[in-house]
Amino acid sequence: MLHPGSLNESKPTRGRTRRSISVLTVAGVLALLAAACGSSSPKSSNSGQGTTPSAQHPVTITFANWADAETATRPGIEATISQFEATHPGIKVVSQPISFTDIGHTLILRQQSGNPPDVAELSGNDTFAVAATGALAPLDSYLKSGVYNAKALSEGTYKGQVVALPWNSNPPGLWYNKTLMTQAGLDPNSPPATITQLMTDLATIKAKEPGVLPLGIDTTNRSFALAVDWPWMKTFGATPFSGSNATANTPQMQAFLGFMQTLAQKGYITANHKIGYYRPLAAQNKVAFVWDQPVLQGVVQSTNHETDAQFFANWGVTTLPTGPAGQASTVDEGHQLVIFNHSAQKKADWEFINWLASDPSAVTGYTIKYESSLPTLANPSPQIQSQINTPILQAFTNKILPTVIQLPYGPNFSSAYTPIMAGVQSAVTSSTSPASIAANIQSGLQNAFK
Amino acid sequence: MTAVAPRLDTPDAPVSVPISTRLRRKPWKVAVVAVIVTAGLFWSLAPIYWMVTTSLKNPLEVTRLNPTLYPHALTGQNYGELFGQTLPFSSFLENSVVTSLVAAVIAVAISAFAGYSLSRGQWRLRGFTGQIILATRILPLVVLVGPLYLIFLKTHLLNTYYGLILGYTSFALPFGAWMMKGFIDAVPREIEEAARVDGYGRIGILFRVVLPLTLPGLFTTGAFVFMDAWNNLLYPLTLIDSLKMQTLPPGLLTSFTGQFKTDWGGMMAAACLTTIPLMAAFFAIQRYMVRGLTAGALAGQ
Amino acid sequence: MKPRRSPWFDWMVLPTIVILAFVIGYPIVRTFVLSTQNYKVLSGLPATGVGFSNYQQLYHDPVFWQSLRNTAVYTFGSVVVAVIIGLALALLTEHMAGPWRYIRTVLLTPWAVPLIVVAFLFRYMFDQDSGVVNALLRDLGLIHSNVHWLTSSTWAMPTVMLANIWTAVPFFFLVFTASLTSVPTDVVEAARVDRAGTWSMIGRIKLPYLLGPAMIAVLIMVINNFNDFAKIWAMTQGGPAYSTTTLVVYVYQLAFSSFNMGYASAIGVVWLLLLMIFAVFYVRLLQRASR
Repeated sequence: MLHPGSLNESKPTRGRTRRSISVLTVAGVLALLAAACGSSSPKSSNSGQGTTPSAQHPVTITFANWADAETATRPGIEATISQFEATHPGIKVVSQPISFTDIGHTLILRQQSGNPPDVAELSGNDTFAVAATGALAPLDSYLKSGVYNAKALSEGTYKGQVVALPWNSNPPGLWYNKTLMTQAGLDPNSPPATITQLMTDLATIKAKEPGVLPLGIDTTNRSFALAVDWPWMKTFGATPFSGSNATANTPQMQAFLGFMQTLAQKGYITANHKIGYYRPLAAQNKVAFVWDQPVLQGVVQSTNHETDAQFFANWGVTTLPTGPAGQASTVDEGHQLVIFNHSAQKKADWEFINWLASDPSAVTGYTIKYESSLPTLANPSPQIQSQINTPILQAFTNKILPTVIQLPYGPNFSSAYTPIMAGVQSAVTSSTSPASIAANIQSGLQNAFK
Repeated sequence: MTAVAPRLDTPDAPVSVPISTRLRRKPWKVAVVAVIVTAGLFWSLAPIYWMVTTSLKNPLEVTRLNPTLYPHALTGQNYGELFGQTLPFSSFLENSVVTSLVAAVIAVAISAFAGYSLSRGQWRLRGFTGQIILATRILPLVVLVGPLYLIFLKTHLLNTYYGLILGYTSFALPFGAWMMKGFIDAVPREIEEAARVDGYGRIGILFRVVLPLTLPGLFTTGAFVFMDAWNNLLYPLTLIDSLKMQTLPPGLLTSFTGQFKTDWGGMMAAACLTTIPLMAAFFAIQRYMVRGLTAGALAGQ
Repeated sequence: MKPRRSPWFDWMVLPTIVILAFVIGYPIVRTFVLSTQNYKVLSGLPATGVGFSNYQQLYHDPVFWQSLRNTAVYTFGSVVVAVIIGLALALLTEHMAGPWRYIRTVLLTPWAVPLIVVAFLFRYMFDQDSGVVNALLRDLGLIHSNVHWLTSSTWAMPTVMLANIWTAVPFFFLVFTASLTSVPTDVVEAARVDRAGTWSMIGRIKLPYLLGPAMIAVLIMVINNFNDFAKIWAMTQGGPAYSTTTLVVYVYQLAFSSFNMGYASAIGVVWLLLLMIFAVFYVRLLQRASR
């Protein structure tokens, strides 16, 4: 309509016609806008509003998640959703894939504009950032006691109410490559238990295996990285902030930063890489120790096609080495399911998320098979038990999960991770003294909390 | 044949160098030119070579610590997966092509009108309006996208082609209007006068005389708008929330760089498939672009 | 003879104004308003007016100043290098004819690669461990240990700029090639008859013809680079530390991770003013040059 080519055929006009055509042009554009405003596209799959359940029409749940955005988990989640729809004929689930990195701020933006989904997958600080906006519905009234384990539930508790249902548990642990340890002359059955031992082992690996990266640890600048690095800070007794007090300029924090700097200067780690960067390296036995989640196994096996037996012979996993502060800890970056207050059909929402997190076929067919992570059930059925009865998942369940600590998630964490991780990156990429980095983090945090 | 032939439009180039000067060229000069041009070719092609070869490697070879210069185990699996069940790659492609093309056509039309008005109009504040239009392009998308989301939500433009097209068009209009103003400035007013004497009305002058003369300019503006839209990451990332409606840049970003790992091979395969048609289209119109740039946007100022 | 006043074609700018007012005008106004408010979305509190305190905080924020410096380095550094490379290639390939003319086509190919792909491609090529650049440099004996291209404060910015330059060179190459064809042949011939050397031919005869187009192309690229988000975000996310944090990255972090909308908007406003001053200054220069 607006293409000059089609107007080309109009005859030379004068006076009134000319004027009316110009008016038509403007009107045309306005009409185009109005038309666009009035009707949403037929291809649009989401309107967000007006999803009131009725007897004739099935209830439609919009489900924002990243499982459907990634090639690794996409087939799994789609099959699982279809299975749910087949067993629950009154409910239809429309998946809205959003990437892992973007889901937190996208949902906050949508909540602010009154357009949230009904249900979403969240994790870590994102859950609490979204909860802080008052977006999430409390789940206490739906929860039956004894289904989910109490610790996992407490990780989804905000201001005394459960707002996030634990879908899986995903704590990082210290993976060690037994083959590489053996080759370097280390005992593959005694992974480093203290930071001192870790340093010795890293030195040995570096000396004996020049082509191997001694340690993989996430030092990107994102909230996930601060979460998984937090236990390392804690092992030095450092707590960068508590509440809205910046406590980064401490000897303990300097000790941690000095430790990271040493790791980098000796060539034990690489900087500014995501945890996922080390997984393909792990598949080629090119990294000796990795601070990573249970999912490492799934990614390694899908890359190098090792059998379970080969993988277990090659890799073990244990708790974080203890440092001056004495205790090992980790943090559960498990995925959680939330219901938005805005949703008009919370009962159906609950039915869906509860099914995803607790139905044996969903747990075995998705949580364990595709996410290779741990279920959050208090009493897993024998069928599930048999699935998690592997050396790796047992180590995660029995040794690592008990060391999980709770992080100070919430708005302050959202503002704090950038200055803190920038400081960590500065430690691992420059020779700035830990004391001055700690001071920079401190002032950055104070500025961020203002 | 010649229309598609990829060349820059310099028909007089060979003639303009008399034989005498060619002979005068010293061999070392030729060598220097050859070396620099070869370096330029390497610079342009090496990354593209790497993109193509990476797309033909299997996941293990892609992440090898000592990269292989060519695929040792040639595989098409990265391409196969693009069209498998797991990834709506073809809908990314379709969404990108449709929205970018429509945005280009609409933006060129509106820009041409605006350019004509800015170039030939005699209204007050014309220069000021032009500057304001240009200034709207300066504010960063990152700052705009929050409020924009809100407007689109209220007008039901979220998650629609209309919304994306409107976003792309608005993003392209400031430069587009200015480029078209430049092209139209370059059309001598005498031609319009002559057309008037021949009995053409204003509309006739615009559509039969001015616009045909700025055809290369229309193509150039269109190509710029298309590239802007094609490369836009932030708008679709924010304004589209279903994977089926997503365009290529955010589609590539979300599909290949997930929480698990970065799938270089898959991403490069997708990159090859999206780059090649664009290159073809680009070469087809580049003659117009050179002529357009020469005629108006740049020389006409 | 003056054309009769015909008001309707003055209105033809209206669609542009309507669309821009709808899609850009409103957000700009809102940004101005937000910049004078304390609005932290995550606090759950409504926005409160705070006057200019966001701007005061800005003045004392070292990260803001660093990102301003980074923006300047990234923007102008990339543009200068890309102009030089584009100009050199355009001059060298100017007279290529016959099959050689395809070289010009090949030199344009990087433009067809989507920007997001360029970012990932360069990140992959410059990966310190599995990247081809380190491997090649090692094989050539130029380096002994891997260079931490994207993961050291020293190299991250140059590497990101290199990717940016790669995408910008074809643009300048095209502009210069096009403008070279507008150099009148008789002028060149006259100079040749006067036995002008290569350098004076370029400097005195051709460059003046290229100056105007070059300045407009530079303005376009400066604005584009100033707003460039995808490349830096995909390659380094502003790191390591703040070494590649440009204003756009900083605003994104403030707006979409801390949700500190008031502060982010204040930076947006300062940014708008800076670019406007640059543009006004630049347009003056342009008008003087074209006179």
